[in-house]
Amino acid sequence: MLHKIQAEKFGSRGEGMAHAVEACVHCGFCLPTCPTYLTMGEEMDSPRGRIFLMKEVLEGNLSVDQAAPYVDRCLGCLACETSCPSGVRYGHLISPYRAYAQKNRKNNLFQKTFRWLLMESLPHPGRFRFLLQMAVFSRPLQGLLPRMLRSPLSLLPKTIPKEDDLPEIFPAKGDQRARVALLTGCAQQVLAPEINRATLRVLSENGVEVVIPKSQGCCGALAMHLGEVERAKISARKNLEVFENAGPLDAIVTNAAGCGSGLSEYRDLFHGEPEEERAKNLFALVQDVSLFLHNLGLKKPSGWPEPRKIAYHDACHLSHAQGVREAPRELLRSIPNLILMEPLEWEVCCGSAGTYNLEHPETADLLGQRKAKNLADTGADAVATGNIGCLVQVRNQLEKTGSNIHVFHTMQILEEAYRNGA
Amino acid sequence: MKDRAALIKDLGRIFPPDRLLDSSAQLAPYESDGLTCFRSRPSAVVLAETQEEVIQTVRWCYQHSVPFMARGSGTSLSGGSVPVADGVVIALNRLSRIVQLDPVERTVTVEPGVVNLKVSEVAAPYNLYYAPDPSSQQICTIGGNLAFNSGGAHCLKYGMTSNHVLGIKAVLPDGEVVHFGGPSLESAGPDLTGFYCGNEGLFGVALEVVLRLLPKPEFFRTVMAAYDSMEAAGNAVTRIVSSGLLPGALEIMDRLAIKAAEAAVQAGYPKDAAAILIVELDGEKDAVESDYIRLSALINETGANTVIVARDTVERMKIWKGRKSAFSAVGRLSADFIVQDGVVPRARLGEALAEIERLSNIYNLRVANVFHAGDGNLHPLILYDGREEGALERAEELAGKIIKLCISMGGSITGEHGVGLEKKAYLPEMFSPVDIETMERVRAQIDPKFISNTGKMLPGGEAPALVIRGLHPLEKEGILSRE
Amino acid sequence: MVAESTVFLPAEVDEAARIVRENRNLRPRGGGTKPALSSPLAEEHVVDMSKISGILEYSPQEFTISALAGTTIREIEDALAENGQYLPFDPPLATAGATLGGTLAAGLSGPGRRRFGGIRDFVLGVRFIDGWGNVVLGGGKVVKNAAGFDFPKLMAGSLGRLGLLTEATFKVFPRPHSTITLEVDCGSLAQALTGINYLNSLSIDLEALDLIPPGRLYIRIGGFADSFPKRIKRLQELLEHEGRLLENEVESQFWEQTKEFSWSSPEGFLVKIPMTLAKVEKFDEAMENYGLARCYSSGACLCWVAGKDSRHLPDIDSFLHSLDLTGLVLRGNVDYPILGAQKGLGFLRRIKEALDPEDRFLSFKETISESS
Ligand SMILES: Cc1cc2nc3c(=O)[nH]c(=O)nc-3n(C[C@H](O)[C@H](O)[C@H](O)COP(=O)(O)OP(=O)(O)OC[C@H]3O[C@@H](n4cnc5c(N)ncnc54)[C@H](O)[C@@H]3O)c2cc1C
Ligand code: SF4
Ligand code: SF4
Repeated sequence: MLHKIQAEKFGSRGEGMAHAVEACVHCGFCLPTCPTYLTMGEEMDSPRGRIFLMKEVLEGNLSVDQAAPYVDRCLGCLACETSCPSGVRYGHLISPYRAYAQKNRKNNLFQKTFRWLLMESLPHPGRFRFLLQMAVFSRPLQGLLPRMLRSPLSLLPKTIPKEDDLPEIFPAKGDQRARVALLTGCAQQVLAPEINRATLRVLSENGVEVVIPKSQGCCGALAMHLGEVERAKISARKNLEVFENAGPLDAIVTNAAGCGSGLSEYRDLFHGEPEEERAKNLFALVQDVSLFLHNLGLKKPSGWPEPRKIAYHDACHLSHAQGVREAPRELLRSIPNLILMEPLEWEVCCGSAGTYNLEHPETADLLGQRKAKNLADTGADAVATGNIGCLVQVRNQLEKTGSNIHVFHTMQILEEAYRNGA
Repeated sequence: MKDRAALIKDLGRIFPPDRLLDSSAQLAPYESDGLTCFRSRPSAVVLAETQEEVIQTVRWCYQHSVPFMARGSGTSLSGGSVPVADGVVIALNRLSRIVQLDPVERTVTVEPGVVNLKVSEVAAPYNLYYAPDPSSQQICTIGGNLAFNSGGAHCLKYGMTSNHVLGIKAVLPDGEVVHFGGPSLESAGPDLTGFYCGNEGLFGVALEVVLRLLPKPEFFRTVMAAYDSMEAAGNAVTRIVSSGLLPGALEIMDRLAIKAAEAAVQAGYPKDAAAILIVELDGEKDAVESDYIRLSALINETGANTVIVARDTVERMKIWKGRKSAFSAVGRLSADFIVQDGVVPRARLGEALAEIERLSNIYNLRVANVFHAGDGNLHPLILYDGREEGALERAEELAGKIIKLCISMGGSITGEHGVGLEKKAYLPEMFSPVDIETMERVRAQIDPKFISNTGKMLPGGEAPALVIRGLHPLEKEGILSRE
Repeated sequence: MVAESTVFLPAEVDEAARIVRENRNLRPRGGGTKPALSSPLAEEHVVDMSKISGILEYSPQEFTISALAGTTIREIEDALAENGQYLPFDPPLATAGATLGGTLAAGLSGPGRRRFGGIRDFVLGVRFIDGWGNVVLGGGKVVKNAAGFDFPKLMAGSLGRLGLLTEATFKVFPRPHSTITLEVDCGSLAQALTGINYLNSLSIDLEALDLIPPGRLYIRIGGFADSFPKRIKRLQELLEHEGRLLENEVESQFWEQTKEFSWSSPEGFLVKIPMTLAKVEKFDEAMENYGLARCYSSGACLCWVAGKDSRHLPDIDSFLHSLDLTGLVLRGNVDYPILGAQKGLGFLRRIKEALDPEDRFLSFKETISESS
């Protein structure tokens, strides 16, 4: 599409934004995979429409605030990248755009506070846990709260799991085949520490030694997606250092898709800055645990005595942002007696999308219900997925429909499949 | 346009605020269709959810003489769904109920906002499908298909949209609601259904459409053959067509198109081929197998250097995926391009392609070719760099030359994308003033105020005053002067 | 009240145009094989098109043919046959002398419509003289064309009431190398309909699928003969009937007679009725009670009804109304040939007003009894 964006005006990432706009031919092929278009059915809430709107803002024809409602509603799921035949890198547009918009908008105070609260809590396991406890405690008061705060509460677990202190090194079982570092994920650690445990056991079972650097911090994805670039950079710099000092590594594995794509974005975050080279090196090592295991060659699990139907739910940050779709499926398929089920609309986001379900609860709910239905329709006994956000969202949404389908991380399924043989 | 803005507020009587869009940010994304070089801003976009809302909107527009345009998914490639400036856009993508599916009569009644592919999805449990398959099928709507009489890769054997539309309910531009056709494949009296198809939005808004479904072909043989020259591929088409075989589809892609499609979806096309031919036989297993023996013998004689036969549905879909993403995939080769759509007599395909190549060299613009070879329907994609001074103009000129070439060969200025805004100027090269005058007259009866998608397809007629009704054209010696 | 009827016999298109400009109440006629459409009533004049005849353009590699309206179907079919091609919609009454223009204006297709569609699906372009006396071109000469309004389709079934067809271009197909027909007696109408429904639901390429009540099915397949034994066997298994094979001469003879309506009496009436499967039983029962002959064609999307006495026609008309069906009288005494529930008159009247505001040609009516 023709445009008059003066890329230089928008710093090191301006060129990427202009490229994305240029590559868009307005064909609309991305529309049917965009969760907001599917639920709202209006052009402004489609990838094609958002690209057009951002272009208008960057060209100076619209103000940031005019476009804000529609751009804000984007989940950043990147389904539009997967479905775009023209190769539009939507992510290269939306992330820097959000950073630009963040600086140039007249935010409403409530939203600002809310975002601040999110950023001050979620990325800090200690604070997040404290807040969660407070919240669980205050659940009976929910009705008194403004709507925007009520919905996040409804997402909370009934009880907060016990803190799990992970060792700094988790040894390989048998002959060591590889050495990796694990990014533990801030929210995941608090909400579902068992996922990290399962990951460690599966890796170890496969002869992988895992380092878990104590001083690692949040990947910065949250800040990045909210357009808080400086804050994101602080987290990123810290992690660059931590992982550079973790000794020789075959990979930095992530088991929360959101964090994985967060780390992968460092490259773009530091584009044209002194840290760029280091970010590239880090990027070369980052791999989702499923892909890593698949490439390494999975040790055959023993599986179950009876057939089990498991549906795989694609986390957007894994399938679209990192392009990892086949590896986790292959891992699951290799489990004896596991029948892998494919839901309709695999490419459509479940509505979790980072903090989306906190900020746009209604849309998130619609999407969640849609996803829950598609998953339930497969007739599966359980769902496997590769991201904590999706796991919580899908679990809640399934519960709401009265379904008793359980939701697990792919690593938990694998761990169980190994355990059964033991 | 202050008056218009005030008037638009009045539409609030029909639509709640969240479905009456009138702010700049809401309108901007509706300014273009799949052809981004045209833009125009409407006064309002209404998101209709019921047929009644559409009827009321059209009546409102008629009463206030406000032009309107029905919009499906805005994928038109001829500017057909560029809004009428300051008019109302009636967005129909939410008007998308499947009204009734009758597996015995093999028909489905749908509202116009239903996406083409969705029709086949709902028919699938009955082993039925909807045959017309434009490459944009995952997003274009039945309303848009109907208005443009869209085709697809399988038109050769199965025909275009109008061959699959049995009945229509529509609201005419002055608000009258009409029904014609019905569930039968046959009809008595003039084929009004067929006439309504391809009207490019000039005959009001289709509200409900009865479509014919076909049993899914039980067997396919999909063959991809690669050639060292375009000519060899073209000759293969001639041989196949004249052999008496009737493939479901016969498609050709050239080197550039292959490159783009491969980059987009890795369809497994040989990257060094000058042209590939996709042939698909479909139907009853035994008949297809018997045809296939003849087809492969033919292809062996045509000097193909690689022949790939799809072994299963996955491989078949892979071959098609490349073809179907080809248009958009060209966006990877060049930020800007024009999709042209013209038809030449099938026997002159080779000649036409050679001429296009010659023109491409003269204009120093790359042209990628993807086309429905079996129908002689060319889709040259003209690549240019919009940032280069005068490049767009050169590309447009080349596009025009190609269209004139089609006309001079006895073909058509459009096979399936319609005339829209883009080719309005070429209509008089295909039709005489009298022919066009006749179209104008029909249009004036159907849309007396000229408010339905005003300014598309017909060259004149933007201003009602210019069309003189009731005057015998022969009194003017068959020529009607038009400013 | 026998008023003078003139028969004009133009030899040129220009002459025909002049006739249109100078007269009213014109009734075009081709071969006159459908008298209910072409015989003049009081104060009507006939424009006989038989002299405006001849093939204009036929290139076999193109698979298209253009001919003047008065050209007989036979002439066209013969020319096509020389190149192994045919009109897949199987125009009826060719032997009786039907012309291209007449067949198009009547909108008629034969049993072959089952495979690839009817006449409206094969017409690519037309030239016609409208009520202003203008020669108007619609459509084109190539197999695919989306430019301008689709006048060719409008002219299919226009009954000479929207304009005088002078020329038409059709898409043609390669004729199947061989054909063979399986005749199966299903015993009853209900059984036969079940059989049709079943065959309709499968992706089996049938050249024709006709039903003669109560239960005889005629299933025609085409292609390379080497595929026949397997395909016939499959049909026999699907229908659970051995049936009887019609081959060669006998076969072509059978379909030829079907297309010529040899089963109906030339003196009586003949009506075409677009049909749907669901309505056949109810409809057939009534026709049986009237003692009329029927043939259901193309998987029962079409019914031909014949009888001796035109006095039955008003009954058929009201019965069609009650079933929300339409009919077209080809032979028989009627003032107006369209029976039953006509659709879209509001839209049609606008088109008529645009093309023929002064009623140079006959008008369309609400009902058969509406006076002009
Ligand atoms: C990548 C790509 C590939 C394509 N491939 C093909 C192809 O293979 N074959 C092909 O034929 N086309 C193709 N097209 C063109 C386009 O997809 C078709 O023209 C399609 O039918 C448009 O559908 P739409 O829903 O987007 O309609 P829109 O673009 O929204 O509208 C098209 C026209 O239809 C009118 N309209 C829409 N709904 C109604 C209604 N209910 N009543 C009356 N008028 C209505 C509009 O006013 C407008 O004039 C392609 C386009 C793209 C971008
Ligand atoms: S699919 Fe790609 S090119 Fe097409 S509209 Fe969407 S982003 Fe633009
Ligand atoms: S990132 Fe997701 S929500 Fe945002 S535009 Fe793309 S598909 Fe839609």
